[in-house]
Amino acid sequence: MLAGTGLALGGCGTLGAGITGTPVAPGTVTFWDLFGGGDGVRMADMLTKFQQGHPELGFQHVTLAWGNPYYTKLSLATLGDQPPDVGVSHASRLSTFVGSNLLQELTPDVLAKHGLTPDKFSEKAMQAVTVNGKQYAVPLDTHPFVLFYNTDICKKAGLLDADGNLKSMDGPDTFVQALTAAQKQGGAQYGGVVAITNETSTNWRFFQSLYSQLGGQMLADDGTKVVVDEAKALKVLNYLRDLTVTKKLMPPNVDYPGAIALFASGKAGFYIQGEWEISTFQTAKMPFSMTLFPNVFGGDKYAVQADSHTLVVPARGNDPTRTEHALTFIRSILDQSLTWAKGGHIPAWLPVANSTEYKQLKPQSNYAAAAAGAVYDPPAWYSGSGSNFEIITGSAIATVRAGQASPEAALKGMIANLQTYAKTPSPV
Amino acid sequence: MAIATTDTTLSVAPTGRERATAAAYDRRNKLFNRTCTGVLIAFALLWLVPVAWAIDTALKPNAETTKVPPTWFIENPTLESFKTVLQQGDIWKWYLSSFITSAATAAGTVLFASMAAYALSRLHFRGRNWVFAFILAGIMIPGQVLIVPLFREFDTLHLLNTYWAVILPQVPTAIAVFIFVQFFDGLPRELEEAARVDGASAARIYRTIVMPLSRPAVSAVSIFTFIWSWNNLLWPLLVLTNPNLMTIQVGLATVQGSYGIRYADVMASALLGGLPLVLVFLLFQRNIVEGIAGTGLKG
Amino acid sequence: MTTQTSAGGRTRAPAAPAPQRRRHDDRTAWTFLIPFLVLYLLFVIGPTVYAFILSLFNGSLVKPGLGSWAGLGNYAEAVESSEFWSSLWHTIYFTILTTPPLVVLAFLFALLADRAVRGRAFFRVAFFLPYVLPSAVMALIWIWIYTPALGLAEGWLSAIGITAPTWLGDPNWAMPSVAMATVWWTLGFNFVLYLAGLQDIPRELYEAAAIDGAGPVQQIFRITIPLLGRTTTLVVVLQVIASLKIFDQIYLMTSGGPNFSTIPSLEYIYDQSFTNMRIGYGSAVSMLLFVVILAVSFVWFGIVRRQESGV
Repeated sequence: MLAGTGLALGGCGTLGAGITGTPVAPGTVTFWDLFGGGDGVRMADMLTKFQQGHPELGFQHVTLAWGNPYYTKLSLATLGDQPPDVGVSHASRLSTFVGSNLLQELTPDVLAKHGLTPDKFSEKAMQAVTVNGKQYAVPLDTHPFVLFYNTDICKKAGLLDADGNLKSMDGPDTFVQALTAAQKQGGAQYGGVVAITNETSTNWRFFQSLYSQLGGQMLADDGTKVVVDEAKALKVLNYLRDLTVTKKLMPPNVDYPGAIALFASGKAGFYIQGEWEISTFQTAKMPFSMTLFPNVFGGDKYAVQADSHTLVVPARGNDPTRTEHALTFIRSILDQSLTWAKGGHIPAWLPVANSTEYKQLKPQSNYAAAAAGAVYDPPAWYSGSGSNFEIITGSAIATVRAGQASPEAALKGMIANLQTYAKTPSPV
Repeated sequence: MAIATTDTTLSVAPTGRERATAAAYDRRNKLFNRTCTGVLIAFALLWLVPVAWAIDTALKPNAETTKVPPTWFIENPTLESFKTVLQQGDIWKWYLSSFITSAATAAGTVLFASMAAYALSRLHFRGRNWVFAFILAGIMIPGQVLIVPLFREFDTLHLLNTYWAVILPQVPTAIAVFIFVQFFDGLPRELEEAARVDGASAARIYRTIVMPLSRPAVSAVSIFTFIWSWNNLLWPLLVLTNPNLMTIQVGLATVQGSYGIRYADVMASALLGGLPLVLVFLLFQRNIVEGIAGTGLKG
Repeated sequence: MTTQTSAGGRTRAPAAPAPQRRRHDDRTAWTFLIPFLVLYLLFVIGPTVYAFILSLFNGSLVKPGLGSWAGLGNYAEAVESSEFWSSLWHTIYFTILTTPPLVVLAFLFALLADRAVRGRAFFRVAFFLPYVLPSAVMALIWIWIYTPALGLAEGWLSAIGITAPTWLGDPNWAMPSVAMATVWWTLGFNFVLYLAGLQDIPRELYEAAAIDGAGPVQQIFRITIPLLGRTTTLVVVLQVIASLKIFDQIYLMTSGGPNFSTIPSLEYIYDQSFTNMRIGYGSAVSMLLFVVILAVSFVWFGIVRRQESGV
């Protein structure tokens, strides 16, 4: 009965909104994210806690498909004057959003009211959310590329130290030796597995981690110049190709879910992916741990590809009440950073990142240092997580790893495609 | 070929003599016919499989849907998924949006197109042929040319995320005008002449004589416009980004990722999303089929 | 449907107050026309002209105004862009994959249904029901059918010992998968068209042929197919033109992937305009697609003209 009346009243509200373009339910906080899978479940828990803590605020949550579909819809919604109150944005996408005038600036005084001051976040995180000296987002986490390892296989292969932690994998030969050991002595079908087929982001991240360890850059001047160091790029591509095609330490044609399945069933000693897959393997109840992506080429300068999730307030007039509610929500989410960290992410919120509970979280705290060496995608209007930049680079790299194209040919194609975008006048 | 079937004067209902001849013909080919029917039944059943599988999945608890290999057997049949989707509430808002936009589009199209067609068909005025050609040219313009400029237009008018943004561009359909003109041209003029002589205005004739006689065209245009508007995806996808205002198409398309592996819920939402038009089809089957057939015969 | 008089057949207005009458008619006529014409100009013709203007500049979705002058630069870029041509190829590939089954199967089923004395309503519902489903509903159902390991498609193939491809995730199988779903979805429309056409063929023709000794198959080839020439042309052209504008299924089922391997022209326009925010370039591409569709329509027009004069 009550539901029916509620429905009817809600219907009238919608009708009115549909005709006049007014907000549907003032006093509601709307939140859009792109978190599916394990992340989605964890976020759902955090959202429930938020609602319990703030019963006076209505709440509406929508999850959209990761990548371009999410970002396109967020842009369209903001242009359509009815964006959500809070959205998620990868740090790598912020410059494009800001350039498009789609985000509301978060001024220091407003942030301070909710305790979201710069000292509560790591320096790298603050850098990531500041564009042209102004802050446009609140950092939530850093999610780097990490190394998963099967503890049983590595033990058999003699790769664990006295404490049961993985010995150092630093250096190109050491890493290859470790993979070989896992395959031979560890008894695994493959030394390691990293997704290749129908996957662009993974391939890009694998390449970028190694390439930036060599100090290589991809783009300059906001993406208008392609500055790929071909020698370094070829070094990385050949190294990658060796792993799959020449030395056969990794399968040359496995997709994202396939790679997970191989590692989870103990057929591969190592698995490389973003840290978010921790939940998958915990659920599979397999013997594993995680650590930093190996410092293969970096020497004393560690680097690894990463991105950050940030929370943004899409522009919609400059309603102080709306901003107030948005930041209340954001603060509530940050307070639950430990829950979020359990999903593998490195919290940007220092009160949690520096806490004993987080430091005791294993294996998450093993790779906390990755945040300091994080290399974000180069800023450009066509770049960012899941963007065309990643699709171009990722698919070229995939062809090399799958043995379908030579490194030289793939690199040539990649650079040419990037040049096309570099030459295109930016729409922001 | 000596016999021309270019006109539509063949009546649909067979005469007595034709019926007798047909019966004789059928008897002779009974075996062939039986085989044909058998083959067709097999294909028809095949055609029903996807929807049947969707219903089967929706009646399972979510956990059962992830069993490998997939099976039709349901261990614990339940309406839980339907309840989840209905209680979650979005689908009601989507029904409302779809219904409002489609009904308003259908009404608007019928009204404006028939009025324009009445002028073109019945009223003498200078430039009539030019206007007709101008309107017919619009049939050639494909929708994709319009999505960008229309978006800009509604952005400037601040009408994005309103029902107007969906309804207004859908109403001026040139082909509806064409259909009405063709139909009006075929109406007998005696009644109108008589009314004219009696001094009735054009508006009166339109309202009291022409439109009542045009029931077949009105029903065909309104049903087809309603269905087409209901099923429109790309344009509403661009302009309805507020989840509370989305039509069924946009709603299902947008949140399809967020169910994860709750496949029963996904299928329930799909079935509930398709239900209204299925009902429309079952209720208006004759009109719809005749409408299509009419298109074909007019060629 | 009632009989049609020829298009020009209107009775002449009484001669008497001719100029006055015409003026009066003018005003009334325009009153009746204005509502439609206003909307038509605002939302059909106006935007088309605006699209053309936009295509000559480098407009941005998120910035007001037209942007910098590009002249024919956007058109040149499109013509030189491999993505433009591959999206066009994907559109054509989709057309090639769907049109023959949608014509031949629909014809076949209609033939069979024509022979079925009873149960025609059942067949009509079975084949036409998918057609009334919105594309999002159809897509959800088929994505589920194509789901690796859990979907019916793999289940059925495994049951007969064939390893299923990953359907929508395999660049070689993605488009055929979408095509198969499309055939299921839209065959009903052509089926109804053909059935109506079939029922219009007078029985006497078959009678006469049977007396002359022609078997059923011969009758189909000698009588049915030629007489349905008009319908077939209509079906094929409608199919081709609709395929050129394909968007829904591919956007919903593969998002143009995997790795851009299925993206059709209309989705390419959508991507360029709304994801890459380049509305000038997007408009240019849409204009080019417009030209292609116009060309196809004129070809049809020519064929129909020739058919009519031939008969």
